[in-house]
Amino acid sequence: MTDERDQLINRVRSTLRDERRVAPQPQAVARLLQTVWASPRPSFWRRALDAWRLPALSGLGASAIAAAALMIGFVSRGAVTPNSASEPTVASGPATGEFPVQLAADDATVRLVPTQFVFESAEAKSVSVVGEFNDWEVDELPMTRVRDGVWTTTVPLAPGRHVYAFVVDGTLLVADPRAPKSGDADYGREGSVVMVFAR
Amino acid sequence: MNKTRASVLLAALVMSASVLPVALKAQAHSGTPVLAIADARTREAVTREIDRAASRGLPVRALVAKAQEGVTKQAAGERIRAAVTSLARRLEQARDLLAPSPSDAEMIAGADALAVGVPAPMLRQIRSAYPAGQSVAMPLDVLTELVARGVPASNALEQITQLMRRGATPTHIAGVGASVQSDVAAGLTPDAALEVRARGVMSLLPSPAAAAALAPRGPRP
Repeated sequence: MTDERDQLINRVRSTLRDERRVAPQPQAVARLLQTVWASPRPSFWRRALDAWRLPALSGLGASAIAAAALMIGFVSRGAVTPNSASEPTVASGPATGEFPVQLAADDATVRLVPTQFVFESAEAKSVSVVGEFNDWEVDELPMTRVRDGVWTTTVPLAPGRHVYAFVVDGTLLVADPRAPKSGDADYGREGSVVMVFAR
Repeated sequence: MNKTRASVLLAALVMSASVLPVALKAQAHSGTPVLAIADARTREAVTREIDRAASRGLPVRALVAKAQEGVTKQAAGERIRAAVTSLARRLEQARDLLAPSPSDAEMIAGADALAVGVPAPMLRQIRSAYPAGQSVAMPLDVLTELVARGVPASNALEQITQLMRRGATPTHIAGVGASVQSDVAAGLTPDAALEVRARGVMSLLPSPAAAAALAPRGPRP
């Protein structure tokens, strides 16, 4: 805005100078107005950019503002949940017969609970866990063989009831023998259930 | 770089930083993700069903998971389609029963409850047992699990709503559900396990009169 005003004043000043400081005559006034209006106006984008002009900041200040805006954006849109899975809650899932516990009253402030899955198979070459929590993607949560025939992985889960199964060697779907079974009216292949909540 | 350009660049950076998370989230939730269904006709039909559900405000993620579950379980295309359609119907029913503004988690929990045979009116009863705005996702999950373990739905509902009205938190209620699971695994009947565990939690809660006094009151006339 300042630039635009400066340009206008300069044009007026230049025109008045040309009139050699004589008393304004109607023709001179008309010429003045014509000169001013005939001058090219700043483009829309130029004016838009002028409107966005801010006080200059140091590089550090600019970085801090950008980082804050990014964080506020992520948190406010739920892309990042404060404290999610940050607390090393002792997790015990189907492996021990106990059930991990953690909960917040409101869905928006849910904290994830690390939940351990354990599967025993001496013959398996690979085992993974699938469930609603990973859209039943076979390759997403591979389990690690921790000793002969014992496979495990720990997955941060939202509090609630989760249905899951193990996939052995990439194709064979197996329910967890240590956990309650879930029915499956849709596909006829029952899985297992884990209740996740905060203690 | 002069101050004007630096300021303009800074403004653009701040705007981008604010908008980026929105754009990423929109990308994650808008439109239907590519489904790994081999049969093209089934894939298109399921995609259409999911798009329809999205336009009605239903949680798309649950439907995508249901379709993908069918793929992992090597189900026939027609069966996957039927499962997704059926879940969309249950989600819509749950949304209506849990009105006025159920969260995605509540709708999914409600749909799961309906799937195991919880009668529809019970969802309304669960909703009304907690103050508006407090999530009933966990009580619904526990109700589902109890019914799935063989507790008659009416018994399970009575115990859970009683706990909720007495001021039991979702954590208390989840604790009851988990304890019942363990008890049943140890050989107790589901009904007996529920009664014992609900009574145990109830003994820790304030008396009904005190709970009523503590309960949030509605706006004054």
